[in-house]
Amino acid sequence: MTATIHKLKRLFTICLLLRMADGQERPNVIPTKSLPEGYVGNVVCRGCHPDVWQTFYKNPHYKSVAAGLSPETSGCEGCHGPAKKHVEAKGGKSTIRAFSILPAKAALNTCLTCHAKDINRHNIQRSGHTQANIACNTCHSIHKATTPKALLSAKQSELCVTCHASVKAQFAMPFKHRGNEGFMQCTDCHNPHGAAATVTRMSVRQRMMEHSQGNEQACIKCHADKRGPFAFEHVAVRVDGCEACHSPHGSMNAKLLRRPTTFTLCLECHNGANGFGRSTTGIPTQTASHNMADPRYQSCTTCHVRIHGSNTDPLFLR
Amino acid sequence: MQKLLFLVVVSTALILGQPTVSPTPQQAGTVRGDNVGDYNITTSFETGYRFYTVDGNGGMYRSNVNLRNGIRLLGGSVTMNSKDGKGRYFDEINLSLQGLGSDPYQSVFLRMQKNRIYRYDFLWRTSDYFNPAPSVSNGRHFLDTARQLQDHDVTFFPQSKYRLFFGYSRNLQEGPGLSTVQYFDSRGDEFTLFANIHRLRNEYRLGAQAEFFGFGLNVLHGWENYSEVQTELLNSPSPGANPNDRVSLNSLQRIAPYQGSTPYWRASLIRNVGKIFQANGHFTYSKGQRDFTLAETADGISRNGAAANRQITLSGTGNRPAATGNVTLSLLPSDTLTITNHTSIYNIRISGDSTYREFNGGIANLALLSFQYLGIQTWSNQSDVSYRISKWIAAYGGYQHSDRRIRSIQYRDLDPAKGLVPDEQTNKLDAGLFGLRFQPAKRFRFSIDSEVGRTDHPIYPISEKNYHSISGRAQWKTNRLTVASSYKTNYNFNSNALTAFGSRGRNASLNAVVAPTSWFNLDAGYSKIHLDTLSGLAYFQSGQLVTGNRSAYLSNIHAINISARLTLKKRVDIFGGFNRVQDVGDDGPSSGTSIANTLINQIDSAAFATFQTFPLRFSSPQARISVRLRQKLRANCGYQYYGYNEKWITLQDYNAHTGYVSLTWAF
Repeated sequence: MTATIHKLKRLFTICLLLRMADGQERPNVIPTKSLPEGYVGNVVCRGCHPDVWQTFYKNPHYKSVAAGLSPETSGCEGCHGPAKKHVEAKGGKSTIRAFSILPAKAALNTCLTCHAKDINRHNIQRSGHTQANIACNTCHSIHKATTPKALLSAKQSELCVTCHASVKAQFAMPFKHRGNEGFMQCTDCHNPHGAAATVTRMSVRQRMMEHSQGNEQACIKCHADKRGPFAFEHVAVRVDGCEACHSPHGSMNAKLLRRPTTFTLCLECHNGANGFGRSTTGIPTQTASHNMADPRYQSCTTCHVRIHGSNTDPLFLR
Repeated sequence: MQKLLFLVVVSTALILGQPTVSPTPQQAGTVRGDNVGDYNITTSFETGYRFYTVDGNGGMYRSNVNLRNGIRLLGGSVTMNSKDGKGRYFDEINLSLQGLGSDPYQSVFLRMQKNRIYRYDFLWRTSDYFNPAPSVSNGRHFLDTARQLQDHDVTFFPQSKYRLFFGYSRNLQEGPGLSTVQYFDSRGDEFTLFANIHRLRNEYRLGAQAEFFGFGLNVLHGWENYSEVQTELLNSPSPGANPNDRVSLNSLQRIAPYQGSTPYWRASLIRNVGKIFQANGHFTYSKGQRDFTLAETADGISRNGAAANRQITLSGTGNRPAATGNVTLSLLPSDTLTITNHTSIYNIRISGDSTYREFNGGIANLALLSFQYLGIQTWSNQSDVSYRISKWIAAYGGYQHSDRRIRSIQYRDLDPAKGLVPDEQTNKLDAGLFGLRFQPAKRFRFSIDSEVGRTDHPIYPISEKNYHSISGRAQWKTNRLTVASSYKTNYNFNSNALTAFGSRGRNASLNAVVAPTSWFNLDAGYSKIHLDTLSGLAYFQSGQLVTGNRSAYLSNIHAINISARLTLKKRVDIFGGFNRVQDVGDDGPSSGTSIANTLINQIDSAAFATFQTFPLRFSSPQARISVRLRQKLRANCGYQYYGYNEKWITLQDYNAHTGYVSLTWAF
């Protein structure tokens, strides 16, 4: 008797919602008779989850429903799996693919069923996030997204620093890239789904760096004037990358340098120590005309103005 | 309704801790929107007036913050969605904008798409960049430029197995600046020049993707064009930066056009759908070329007091072809085990020549052909194994070997050819990775990561040689409370017989977000970022080479942020926050001393051993109130203070008061 009442209540709810939806009834629902084994179709899902369904047509995943794809690859069951047991059990997270309890790898594989073909995710299996058990739904909120574009659970400048708190501190510094101000986002430079191996520095870390034009540092996407090629390149830029001298997130220096003063930064490499440099005879020291006790010589870039690379002068003087 | 309200609360709560007070995160109108024909529409715009006052160094304020007075469209969004996913021309329009009307940071994002037919993304942004640059050239390099970026991307048949991509990006930087030049010889004075900056980059993209037999093939061809015409002038006589120097310049004109193109190809072969085996390859090739000329004319007084003039003409070409390849193989024998192997190759060749002619006093006395070749080839292979031991513990380990070869040829002066001996340097890296993941409870997880690396021949004294990195992260997360902490340390030691470089970096952070009710949230965090480095130096002092001294740098940055949001009667939103970042240096008495004096004293005493520190404090409290007047109308006002205080050049300090009043409205 209770079961019958429950079924009647559910039927009534469905009818009521269809009426309230005011023309939002979807014509793309596959008739029940053609459903694969174990699947029930979207109509049944919306009966108990009207809040999700009411705004689901705004969700990018609604495309699959509009396209009339089969339930295995569209709508609710396309992600959550066959729902027949879930319906028969009158709900419960254990009877369906509930992402809130799904292991990270299972969640990833579910999403990759459709999203694997996107080129910016081609390294996701070896990305630092995947290794750290950070699954898609850690950052993306399919039904409660705050950004319509990528369905993020918060806007990027807030979301990423939830875990990367020290980066939040770097962006609070007086000189920084304008992420907090909305001019740019973390994904302008990073690929959270895993980038190809770094091309400038040799260490394992920094795998999340996105590359410009497929094979160059992300920095030059915006700083095109530093890209070159120049007839005379500052080798440090090409070998160790921009971070050899700059702290990209934030710095106490107006040019985001790693040191507050220019000459200490330069002198730490240009000390002539044997074994370093292209010729292994050391990074050249200055000439004797540079009197480092004179403040005039402590701003190296006053004369070496084209420090990123020059077409005129191997010493970057013009 | 409660869930809808929950949506609104969550979306606003997640914006807690926002470092800028505007735009107001609360939107006007309803989340559900209005139905118009076959579409559902939501709108929200925030229009208001921004004001500011600065007490202190206005240049530094503009460099850090740069908010000005005026009427602004502080923020806005429009969404249109077809109700059945079968709109005639489009199914979705999503427009969001920020800061329009002369804010220093403005952006517009537009997405327009029709299911299965096309998707168009447009991003436009502009940034006003102001930098007096006292710390890099004593203020003689100055920039007041605007950078405007725009990206257009169109994808046809985005849900199909066959897709087409078209894209266009534009990057324009324009504005006045200052630069410097040294005249008339290497011991001459420095002169400040006015620079007119115009840099334009255009990029066009054309690509396609196809899926067949479980593989995806993605090919993209792009063309990048870059042009720069920088004019530098000195129109009135200048004594130079050093009054004791007899060199002076009466005038200087320099124009240096620089332009070229970089066509590139990118091809990717992807197989990520297999249950056991996945593979993908990613290959790129770009061919960069830039042509340049330079013409410079100057006249003045030389170091020996005689009238002097100089003309320079120059032309040449720079080339940089670059090829990369990445192949990733993933083996997934079970749900608990993942094995990946990644191989990457990077090959870049840079070559350029420059024909330089110089006329002094109308007499040709210098002609040079300079040439440089630089080739960098890196090969890297990495294997990772990730294994879930049980439901609550997982481990991963990995090993990487990288091999880099750098070859270089450079000479100046063709006749006779000098310096043609090629240089070559190789470097090998062996690195190991290990990490553990624990999730003993549903709400609690923590992880430990480590990396140890050894290279045999780093190219620079500050490059990584013997390094290790250890990090830990813990998180407790419930619906109402999130507590996260992390710790990371990086050590690097790079030494040879004559010099040594050591660096130690330690970051620690603790962050908590509390949302006990739907009407109150609290976010608080603290981070400490420590860095100390020690490196060997060699420099000249009064003509004498000084060796054996060291450069020691110490930074201890404490950053704190706290913010709270309160909603009263579902109508009034009050937000308050405080943000402060402070480098305390060595935490000792010397932190209060002028770094400039410290450095000069160190030079004079021929010792850098005393720690260089850079004490600085940057604070930014803020408050905002937003009141819902009607369902589609809100009134907002906000205030944010910026305080910059450094102990190096105190003339750069400032206190700034910024604020805004605005209306958020929907239609």
